[in-house]
Amino acid sequence: MNKRYVMVHDENKCIGCQACNIACRSENNVPEGVTRLQVRVEGPYGEAPNLHFKYHRVSCQQCEDAPCVSVCPTGAAYIDENGLVSIHNDKCVGCMYCIAACPYKVRFINPITKAADKCNFCKDTRLARGEQPACVTACPTDALYFGDANDSESEVALLLNTKITYQDKTHLGTKPRVYRIPTKRGGIES
Amino acid sequence: MIQLNRRHFLKGAGASSATCALASILPGSIAAIEREPLKGVSSEVASICEMCSTRCPIKARIVDGKNVFITGNKEAKSFGGKVCARGGAGHSLLYDPKRIVKPLKRVGERGEGKWAEISWADAYKEIAAKMNQIKKQYGAESIAFSSKSGSNSDHVFHLAAAFGTPNTFNHASTCPGAYVVAAKAMFGTKMKRDLSNSKYIINFGHNIYEGINMSETRGMMQAQMDKGAKLVVFEPRFSIVADKADEWHAIRPGTDVSVALALCNVLIVDNLYDCDFIEKHVIGFDEFAAEVKDYTPEWAETISDVSASAIRRIAHEYASHAPHAVVDFGHRATFTTEEFDMRRAIYAANILIGNIERKGGIYMGKKAPGYNKLAGENVAPALAKPGVKGMPKITAIRIDQVEKQYAMMWSSGGVYQTILDATLNAKPYQLKGWIMSRTNPMQTLTDRAKVEQSLKALDLVVSCELYISETAAFADYILPESTYLERDEDIADKSGKNPAYYVRQPVVEIIGDTRPSWQIFRELGQQLGLGEFYPWENIQTLQLMQVNRDHSLLEKIKTLGYVSYGKPLMLREPEMVAEFANAYPNARTIDEDGTYATAMHFKTPSGKIELTSAKVEEMAPGRGVIKHRSVQLKNADELYFIQGKVAVHTNGATHNVPMLSNLMSDNAVWIHPLTAGRLNIHSGDAIKLISSVGSEEGTALVTPGIRQDTVFAYMGFGSKNKEMVKASGKGIHCGNLLPNVISPVCGMCLHTTGVKLERV
Repeated sequence: MNKRYVMVHDENKCIGCQACNIACRSENNVPEGVTRLQVRVEGPYGEAPNLHFKYHRVSCQQCEDAPCVSVCPTGAAYIDENGLVSIHNDKCVGCMYCIAACPYKVRFINPITKAADKCNFCKDTRLARGEQPACVTACPTDALYFGDANDSESEVALLLNTKITYQDKTHLGTKPRVYRIPTKRGGIES
Repeated sequence: MIQLNRRHFLKGAGASSATCALASILPGSIAAIEREPLKGVSSEVASICEMCSTRCPIKARIVDGKNVFITGNKEAKSFGGKVCARGGAGHSLLYDPKRIVKPLKRVGERGEGKWAEISWADAYKEIAAKMNQIKKQYGAESIAFSSKSGSNSDHVFHLAAAFGTPNTFNHASTCPGAYVVAAKAMFGTKMKRDLSNSKYIINFGHNIYEGINMSETRGMMQAQMDKGAKLVVFEPRFSIVADKADEWHAIRPGTDVSVALALCNVLIVDNLYDCDFIEKHVIGFDEFAAEVKDYTPEWAETISDVSASAIRRIAHEYASHAPHAVVDFGHRATFTTEEFDMRRAIYAANILIGNIERKGGIYMGKKAPGYNKLAGENVAPALAKPGVKGMPKITAIRIDQVEKQYAMMWSSGGVYQTILDATLNAKPYQLKGWIMSRTNPMQTLTDRAKVEQSLKALDLVVSCELYISETAAFADYILPESTYLERDEDIADKSGKNPAYYVRQPVVEIIGDTRPSWQIFRELGQQLGLGEFYPWENIQTLQLMQVNRDHSLLEKIKTLGYVSYGKPLMLREPEMVAEFANAYPNARTIDEDGTYATAMHFKTPSGKIELTSAKVEEMAPGRGVIKHRSVQLKNADELYFIQGKVAVHTNGATHNVPMLSNLMSDNAVWIHPLTAGRLNIHSGDAIKLISSVGSEEGTALVTPGIRQDTVFAYMGFGSKNKEMVKASGKGIHCGNLLPNVISPVCGMCLHTTGVKLERV
């Protein structure tokens, strides 16, 4: 594996504006009714006036140990040479095992291709052109970072080395590659 | 895909695709034409967004002939090449099945929803005949023209002037008017915020993390996250900006002015203000200081529920960061009838610490002529205004000018809501016609019922629109404008700390039979016999006139999409002044104190900043000095009803855009748990709000993020027009609950009122 693509979501900078969600839909022609990416503004939590929202990015976590890949009976779900969890549309039979297996509930059947679908970091659209994923490009407040964590000079490597981050549901052993910088309010002081 | 000419309209509904419900096909809508791949005009086009009034510079590219990927234009540095959800979804309205792409004529009763297609030529002919008939019988002034502000208004207001009516209105009195008029009264011009360099920001409910203004939103986030600026928010609701703040104070709705005045009180009493600045650049300080003497934090606490100790501490913290600190003058915060003095009180808090033309404070836009004069050379080209000779002299008074106090409002758009009284009660005289361009007063004005009555009472109503909007549903004719992704426009000035220009240009070929508004109102003008007032043939000739026929300049603006000149300049910031003078050898000599402070000219009668205004006193006796006046917004047994903007929609404009409607199509009403508990209301329950002018049914959202005495809803939802299928009947229609009011001097309508809450 040459590259280790990761996404870092700074929840301090995120304003839940859904610019990422819309940019993803436009770039990847995501049909109505399904979604690859959204940010859920949850809460407010706490006791007034010490309230806080949580800005929760819901999208494929690009697990290093991906349950969706291990359950796929046809090999449609696979991990490519750069570690990206990917889907062979032709091999997908729509059995939905992967949808059931995903602990993050982010896979769906694309109503047009009839194959399983999810965020792939814009692998065949923007990454293929050497650009950043659509969500990162659009984010108004620069809350998203994307890059190769194997490259020690990269912005994401620097962030992971200097900021407190967490990943969702790490106890399941999936090794997700979406990292989150927790909001200072009601969270960990970093 | 069946290849059909896209201009070929299917005549019978039976020929539509099987998935389309036959009854829902509107005449003249996109649903009535065959969908073809989009045709791009080139690989990537730089243009200007139109999904809200910020008008961010964008770049757009066609994806697979199916949609458009829209992102920000990196040439505009403070915008960072970014775009919000609304901007990113702009292409979704291009091929929205409900978009109108053929002129329509009403065939049933007004508002009944019966339409027939009509040719452009016939539409112009019939509208012009009716307009000329009204002009002959009642005078040109009996027709009002209204428009969304900005480029949309230029062409429709030009027609109004050529036709001979003074009655032109934009959305100022429903949204930004107060801060503009207050700035005019004090500085003689609009002011800008330098949030990105601010070290301490006080914010009265200006939620720019939801009502996104890209450069300001980015600037404030950078100030907070990268530079550690402190943000203090006063807002009755726990909004996103309140969440991101270091301090949130759940202020009582409509009492912001008391806190702003108390901040001024502490600054003066505790001697924290910039005496030198006041002496040199401000008049009316003594009168203001005398008035503010009694506005102590303790006094403000009894009105606003913000603790006196917090106000005192915040005033000291604010002053300690002077001059790189700011009190944000807001946009459309909590409105009371005392809006004018609320905004003036906020400006006063800025003036007192002398943050004018300082980093992190407030400043004046630097357009080319003034900038070049300082530089002693032509750093930036100045745009020409195509002068039209012999425009008719209009003697009739505006319907909002019977009261002298609104004179400052006039050039900012007028008091929009006076159309209602003029139409229904002939005050000051009878209106007979209303020509509208991209404006939706049924949503953005108050007292919806009155707006509906007015529209029904007129002899002629014309709406230039993209959709059969909430308002257009009551028109006699709908003239379909091309969307911003399909049309050209004049070059626009986007100067900030240095001069800048940008331009809107088409990204895709026009779909259906729509036209850009410059063309629509020119052609209607010609039909009216006013052709002599249109010396330009098309938008290209108009653009060339603007750039003084400098083809290469025009080409540059079009290619880059955004062109800025020179160095950022704030007149009292020594570092910036030194860099400026260094760059331009003939630049104005620097003052002794290392600034250009003596070059500051304010377009007020005194030429200085007017903390107290004799001009205002003359226009509205008793209002020269900034003063607190008690306002009753609700009765004891009522709750405050307030609204705000959400990041995925723009006021009255985007609720039917498919991608955005899919994100959010309803506005649940925020209710505090204790308030909800008293009425046995749970989240998701059907509830009813009843005000003095109307009642609305919606859904409850029980949340601690709101005061107990207040309910909140995002505005723009709950359309009552069945043609707005995605918005119709979903949520609360705010305008149906708000009474029709005109605030003194600034002419604003009222956005806070009392409501009774019931479980349905």
